[in-house]
Amino acid sequence: MDLGPPTNGSLMRRTRVLVADGLPLFRVGVRSLLRRESDFELLEATDVEEATALLLGGYAEIALVDLDLPGGGGHELVARVRGRCRTHLIVWALEPSRESVLESITAGAHGFLQKEISGPGLIRALRGVAAGEAPLSRDMAGLMIAAIHGLEARSKALERAAVLSEREKEVLAFVSRGARNRDIAEALDISEFTVKRHMQNILQKLDVPSRRAAAAFYVSAYREEATA
Amino acid sequence: MTERNEPLVAVVCAVPILGEALTAALDGLAECKVIPARQPELGGLLKSLQPDAIVVDDEQEAAVAATYARFARTPVINVSLREQRLTRLEDGKWEAPDESDISPETIRNLVAGGIYGRRAN
Repeated sequence: MDLGPPTNGSLMRRTRVLVADGLPLFRVGVRSLLRRESDFELLEATDVEEATALLLGGYAEIALVDLDLPGGGGHELVARVRGRCRTHLIVWALEPSRESVLESITAGAHGFLQKEISGPGLIRALRGVAAGEAPLSRDMAGLMIAAIHGLEARSKALERAAVLSEREKEVLAFVSRGARNRDIAEALDISEFTVKRHMQNILQKLDVPSRRAAAAFYVSAYREEATA
Repeated sequence: MTERNEPLVAVVCAVPILGEALTAALDGLAECKVIPARQPELGGLLKSLQPDAIVVDDEQEAAVAATYARFARTPVINVSLREQRLTRLEDGKWEAPDESDISPETIRNLVAGGIYGRRAN
């Protein structure tokens, strides 16, 4: 990896870590922590643009990227530089959701850490990355597995949803948002009777006992659209 | 301020990196004692430490710190990392300071103001 000349004159090769975080507290915290370690050198970036330039310039071997990095977020940075640099990209966040962990990994991140990590824990993780390991705490691994299971469930639900017509899906989308038949009829410019008929077909096709169950099914199949 | 060479700031944190950042930010102004959040008996610990100021990043612990601070008349600064804002315990009530960005400099200024404002009173 072409990282340019070492910035210190010592013979010891230091691992260059880029901390890309919009919050100065995290940059200062990592800076203070790594200053005590002789095997790390720190670079800092405050947004996606700055971090992209440093990463594509080959200046860092490890990047600790905030999930909410200003200028598009950590996923945006990972997607931009993935395959264009050899930096190990580690996303980190406060109390991340299982979806954000999975999205980071699928976007190309090599690991995921919680910002609640201890100082010694972060140092161990960074040394592990430098040695070729992928940092993922037990909690994070659990979240990833749950997210993968969630994806499987969604995929199965989407398969089941394929039996519905486009109009039935439209009706079900309204139902999942708590709309009444009258509201749906008005929104789709059809009669209330037609809405009822669509609902009967939906319940029959999905083999679910109630309107509420159909709504829950819709959310499981089209979670992002339904909760947006 | 109690009889110490340097003021003592208790940093109660759920996010240990915050403790690192504040220890660096308060260097030269105060000695920091980093206390991991969700420790049993935080109130007792604060009572024995008698800090000159408290910085906390956890809502639950902020409530415990406030209980102690109202009694000991100690300034408390609550750093909400999630909401990215600061609040300060002023006359027993949480208030947003004029500068409420969660930068190390702002926190340092608030801590200094809290410690030396208290000394002047």
